[in-house]
Amino acid sequence: MRLLLPLLVLPHMLAQQPSLGTSASVARGDKLFAQGCAVGYCHGAGGSAARSPRLRGRTFDRDYLLKVIRNGIPNTAMPAWGDRLTDTDIDDIADYIQSLATAPAAVMGNSAAESPSAVPAEKSAEAPEEHRQGRDLFFDAAKEARCAVCHRLDGFGASIGPDVTKVTAIAVSDAVQVLRYGRPRTVRTIILHDGDRFPGIVLDRTSAASRIFDLTSNPPVLRNLLASEIQSIQRQTNWRHGSAVRGYAPEELQAIWDYIRFVAGKK
Amino acid sequence: MFRLAALFAAAMLYGQDGATRENWPHYGGQTNAWRYSALEQVNASNVNRLVPVWSFQTGDADGGLQATPIVVDGVMYLSSSHNRIFAIDAATGRELWSYYFALPKGFTIFYGPWNRGVAVADGRVFFGTLDNHVVALDARTGRELWKVNVEDAAQCGCNITAAPLVVKGKVIVGVTGGDSAHRGYINAFDSKTGRRLWRFWTIPGPGEPGHDSWTGDSWKFGGGAVWMTGSYDANLNLTYWSVGNPAADFWGGNRKGNNLYTDSVVALDLDTGKLKWHFQQVPHDVWDWDTAYENVLLDLPVAGVPRKLLLNVNKGGYTFVVDRTNGAFVAAWPLVKNLNWITGVGPKGELLGRNEPVVGKSKIICPSIGGGRSWNQGAWSPRTGLFYSTGIEWCEDVVAVPETPKEGQVYFGGTFKLTHKPLKGEAGGHLGAYDPISGKRAWQYEYKYPLLASVLATAGDIVFTGDADGFFFALDARTGKKLWNYQTGSGHRGGSITYTVNGRQYIATPSGWGSAVAGLLPQIWPETEKLRGGSAVFVFALPELGK
Repeated sequence: MRLLLPLLVLPHMLAQQPSLGTSASVARGDKLFAQGCAVGYCHGAGGSAARSPRLRGRTFDRDYLLKVIRNGIPNTAMPAWGDRLTDTDIDDIADYIQSLATAPAAVMGNSAAESPSAVPAEKSAEAPEEHRQGRDLFFDAAKEARCAVCHRLDGFGASIGPDVTKVTAIAVSDAVQVLRYGRPRTVRTIILHDGDRFPGIVLDRTSAASRIFDLTSNPPVLRNLLASEIQSIQRQTNWRHGSAVRGYAPEELQAIWDYIRFVAGKK
Repeated sequence: MFRLAALFAAAMLYGQDGATRENWPHYGGQTNAWRYSALEQVNASNVNRLVPVWSFQTGDADGGLQATPIVVDGVMYLSSSHNRIFAIDAATGRELWSYYFALPKGFTIFYGPWNRGVAVADGRVFFGTLDNHVVALDARTGRELWKVNVEDAAQCGCNITAAPLVVKGKVIVGVTGGDSAHRGYINAFDSKTGRRLWRFWTIPGPGEPGHDSWTGDSWKFGGGAVWMTGSYDANLNLTYWSVGNPAADFWGGNRKGNNLYTDSVVALDLDTGKLKWHFQQVPHDVWDWDTAYENVLLDLPVAGVPRKLLLNVNKGGYTFVVDRTNGAFVAAWPLVKNLNWITGVGPKGELLGRNEPVVGKSKIICPSIGGGRSWNQGAWSPRTGLFYSTGIEWCEDVVAVPETPKEGQVYFGGTFKLTHKPLKGEAGGHLGAYDPISGKRAWQYEYKYPLLASVLATAGDIVFTGDADGFFFALDARTGKKLWNYQTGSGHRGGSITYTVNGRQYIATPSGWGSAVAGLLPQIWPETEKLRGGSAVFVFALPELGK
């Protein structure tokens, strides 16, 4: 049902006269549109449809436009821009889209040619300067083993290991030691009847089957094992957290820890 | 006479090596991506008697139906949009099981909801997901066996839409994200456990050969997506993958250099993932010319000498043929007449007369971003010695725009709009039959819109494909003459296949209009906005005797 949402809404876009905005706001909206909305997989130059719906030559209810630009449409390619653009930006883009209502659908302007200079992307509030390094290291895509492969923080990463913001009992001076040599309590040794043996974190378990994160390789694998496949699950394990953070130097781990504490403090 | 016999023997040999028979085991037929079947029960003389025997509705028409079904031992495995997987009795159309992958709540889909297929081996079904997981199911029951989150989709702005390639217990698959600030890769997972066996970065990191073909930090966000399915040569133990465009697509000002291994075919050792050779078709691409499509493995004589070859059509509309043992350039030829981004290809495979987009200034580039051909695959028939491929005549106005990369966000570097008329003739599509080395065309079938479905060739000397209007049709493989068609009610974007169950030959085609490139068509042909979507498989056979 959710898939039909955009189609269901379109016929209901109230046919009220578009409020066309000032020429300055339309021009600014044009520029923002060319930068963020006209590109690649999206609405095309002048809203003429590329790989997303045509906006040119269509009448939209303004509240609907603002809502969709701000919140996106879940389960579609339309992203939420509310956290990347200011209210003024969104208003200006809506002004621009509404200015396209009377434009012929098939005759395209060349807005980009008229406004070639790039609008610098606004930085979203990720981390203040002093925690930027810690954040970059936590999520560093170039590292085979990085924190975010197992830990979710600030809206990114996988939830395999524990919520790192809840790890508070570690004294700051011990943090790096714990990250390097700690043995998380949730890790078990899983032994299968076929002889396979691996360090794992049990996600859930019924009498029929268990879902277990296999930590042998990176990224971990969520395996759905029948009870009949599992010989035993043992508390004893040789797995150490150090194997997951081997790519980080001690001072990098310290920066990561400081960033984690910063995020924990924001909550 | 001797020579004819030798040719026939060679054809038979190729048939045994590369043709499908009762099953359609891999995305491209066999692992050499021929999309050719040795079945001949249905042939040029009786194809006009084909009748529908069953159809199957997936129930999710969003984005159309883009997959190529897999058939193993009488069971068809199919994926639709939103990672719905179905196992179907291939003789009757009865559903055996279904599996709907659950996306995280409120998840934003990048690019689109589609999926291009599953892989089946070792009693398991494998596929990639919209949130960048690789999943294994039990082929008998559909029960989930393992899944691995390759990389957080929210961070990378990437996902998996291609069918994996599975050989020798390894599930090999790439990743989308070539129009985002992202660094591409190819992964191999153990088919039994899901453990990662190796990863090949499509952009070399610091200290690796080729890293100096990027400036500054551009390598971290340089694209290089691998968004279609690779091939495999068992004798050489090499797996061949083609790497997409560098990001940003239309602007290369901050990634000066050749930008390896974007727009390249890479040959990797199956067991280690180590690079054996590469051939870059488009150094420093600024047109979004993915070298992302199928790698067709052919054994043919070149100037009288038998060669092991690899044929690859790129989005720029050029076909490159290289020696697949070492990557040496053999030949290049254009698929389309509307092509102005280069003036030609030199004797070593080098591009001549580059015509690049300009910052802040509109420029006409042909073909358009939709490609001189889209990703829908061609077919090779060893019987006719012809490579069958669609092609598209269209152009675009491009403006390059400097852009600052932001991890996981769209990183396009320009805007484009399609032009109403191409530089030569009318905009439209065609299906041609070509000599794979010289590019000499034997015949061409023309159509008013781009043809966006893959091609199937058979030993019955027929080629099958479908069009945007909903017709699935058969052409004579030697002449291009239309022999049969059937209206399926929605346009074609997937891959048709053929197989047998209990000795009866079936021809199956997905039907369901949609996709990114289909979404471009209204810029030239406004009426195509009204083409109806769908998502069904139609299966045909000859009437059974006595029934």
